[in-house]
Amino acid sequence: MADCWNTDTGEAVYRSRDAVKNLKIKVRIERVTSTAALSQHLQQEVLSQQDRGAIELETLTSQGQTGDNEEELVVGWQEKLFSQYEMELFQNESACQTPLDRQYHTEVKALNRAKGRRNHRIFTYTDHDRYTNCLPFHQLQHSTDLLTTTKSSPTFLAERMASVRHRRQDRRTMDCSIPKSRIINWEPTEEFVKNSHVVNNAMQTMHIMGDLGPSGRLGQKENESLLVTIKTDGTGTVIVKPDFNKGKEPYRIVTEGEKREVWRLTVENISTTMKPEEKDREQNMYKDLYVRHKDYLSSLVGQDFEMPPVGILRYLMNGEIVSAKGFEYDNLYIHFFMELPNNWSSLPFQSLSGVTQTCRTKTLGKENVAFFSYPFSFEAFYMSEKESEESIPQWPVLYFKVLSLDSWQCYRTEGYGYLLFPAMPGKHTITCHTWRPLQTGTVSALRRFFIGGSPELEDHSYVRIPGTFKGERLSRFGFCTETTGSVTFNLHCIQQAKSFVDAAMMKKRRQKVFDHLGGFSQQGAICTILEAFQRARRKMQEARESLPRDLVTTTSQLQIESSA
Amino acid sequence: MAELHIIGQIVGASGFPENSLFCKWGVHTGGAWRLLSGLKEGQTQVDLPQIGDMAYWSHPIDLHYATKGLQGWPKLHLQVWHQDSFGRCQLYGYGYCHVPSSPGHHRISCVTWRPLGSWQEQLAQIFVGGGPQLRSPDLIYSGADRYRLHTEAMGTVELELGIIMRHFDKYGVDS
Repeated sequence: MADCWNTDTGEAVYRSRDAVKNLKIKVRIERVTSTAALSQHLQQEVLSQQDRGAIELETLTSQGQTGDNEEELVVGWQEKLFSQYEMELFQNESACQTPLDRQYHTEVKALNRAKGRRNHRIFTYTDHDRYTNCLPFHQLQHSTDLLTTTKSSPTFLAERMASVRHRRQDRRTMDCSIPKSRIINWEPTEEFVKNSHVVNNAMQTMHIMGDLGPSGRLGQKENESLLVTIKTDGTGTVIVKPDFNKGKEPYRIVTEGEKREVWRLTVENISTTMKPEEKDREQNMYKDLYVRHKDYLSSLVGQDFEMPPVGILRYLMNGEIVSAKGFEYDNLYIHFFMELPNNWSSLPFQSLSGVTQTCRTKTLGKENVAFFSYPFSFEAFYMSEKESEESIPQWPVLYFKVLSLDSWQCYRTEGYGYLLFPAMPGKHTITCHTWRPLQTGTVSALRRFFIGGSPELEDHSYVRIPGTFKGERLSRFGFCTETTGSVTFNLHCIQQAKSFVDAAMMKKRRQKVFDHLGGFSQQGAICTILEAFQRARRKMQEARESLPRDLVTTTSQLQIESSA
Repeated sequence: MAELHIIGQIVGASGFPENSLFCKWGVHTGGAWRLLSGLKEGQTQVDLPQIGDMAYWSHPIDLHYATKGLQGWPKLHLQVWHQDSFGRCQLYGYGYCHVPSSPGHHRISCVTWRPLGSWQEQLAQIFVGGGPQLRSPDLIYSGADRYRLHTEAMGTVELELGIIMRHFDKYGVDS
């Protein structure tokens, strides 16, 4: 009868978090001979007849044959099993060159003194053996099953692909550690160049081989054939070629030589699985570990956060004065201060003014630009009082003045400008243009050029709205100015208020522009909260009165806690 | 109890007189801030661009802060240095900027300046290099003494920072 072979001999990739030393594989090879086929056929017939009659059968299994025509072996990871050839080779001390050879020599001697090796035909090459590197290449030479015509040398691509998988240079990429010294390899060998062009993990390899020579003539190097290759990298990927049979048909191996014999190969994974209790225990341990890590992190962070009192908006501005450009003279510096309107306050140690360094400009494009990169931080508090809803809140203003200082120590006013604090929190990049007061006539221009005096503003708030202004129309008629350059600021604004928390909790984010402009439409939210609180308190008082006397004392305790 | 993640890179620098540049950077915070993980200072490699003006570092910044208050928001300070072909290093600029306080992706250009000495020192600087440096870069943060410095404008450092804020809205912070 025609046997069905499994022709799917590609590699299979498995991933497991378990240690690879728990891997155990059972390999079984058996030779397909005519008598074996016959006995198998007979066995099958008998088995199908067994339910009909009580024919007890000792099938024609000749003991002498099975010893040599089949073998079943359990192999662990990197377990070194010697072939007949290796046993003979490592028996004499003179053949040993490397320490590995000497170690094999001692092992072989121990095996000979003991019962002998437990394997017969099946043996292994572990990662340390020198054959592991060049095996697939040899297999390439004998890849006659691809083509009918015998082509002796593999193609260029096949050659390259064969050696791509095996990297023996750096075996320590188990955890992708990069050496701290000698990062650059100044003289790479050609193989290093070839292998480094492919992103590849170093694999530990193990080959399970079979000595498929005719019985009685084991130990010939030519009869060795590769049965199974197992590769793993340090991170839990296991590649098995060919894949486990899993109950399907066995694989077929055809030997070379004059007698082309057919062998059947079955590969099975018999690693012990974890017991369910152990699995549960492991999962619980992981869960525990993660919970503890989370607790540890949150304990590092802490629970408290500084918050402003109720009804107060804290406005925090981190910013920097970035640059100034387009001014007439060189060596610029900026003198700035903040002004807080009504209802705004700041902490006593908060500095409300500052002076930058003097910076010599450089030419960027068509303009001369000075870089200040001056960070400042500003914090202010807004007290929300009971006021009419129509009044638009006033935000603080930053007034600045650009001056230049020349080598004769003369100061000149270069420009005045102002910056209104943004109402919306977030990042703002603002460029403010400046002007300077001008006196008509040549005298002032000459004075400014030679000795550096120029008209200055007495009240800086004149730049925007003078502080002394009361009325409806601001008139600057008759005031002469000249446009000068511009100053760029980078501002990061943060607003914080308790009522923002309540709004978030009540999920009432009203998106009206006016609300955001005010930032304290939350004031309305505060009112509703207060009203709700008052209502709840009234209800509780009524309920308290209707309760009998002896319960009143306990509820009064509770009430004190809830109103705190 | 609020946490801040700063994940980004120092992309590179441009606009400096010479091109073989490296950058020393650091993040400075107030007392209420605590670094949970990440390196808060470092030094990039030296980059010499063959084409173009910009030296690219692509140096990663990955910080995780926990904070109890809004004061002392993290500030980034940078020092750009130049290494010439003889291996000598000279300062090319100091730059300071705040870490953004709104969540999202930000592209930041931090400008730099370099202290200037007297005209003799400037003349020597043209030929030999070197130049005055700040005794301690931290005195910049006090702010009060900056007016005494005489500086000149140098180039710009580009940064890309992604900001992730956690639990800030639970404490009523709107940014």
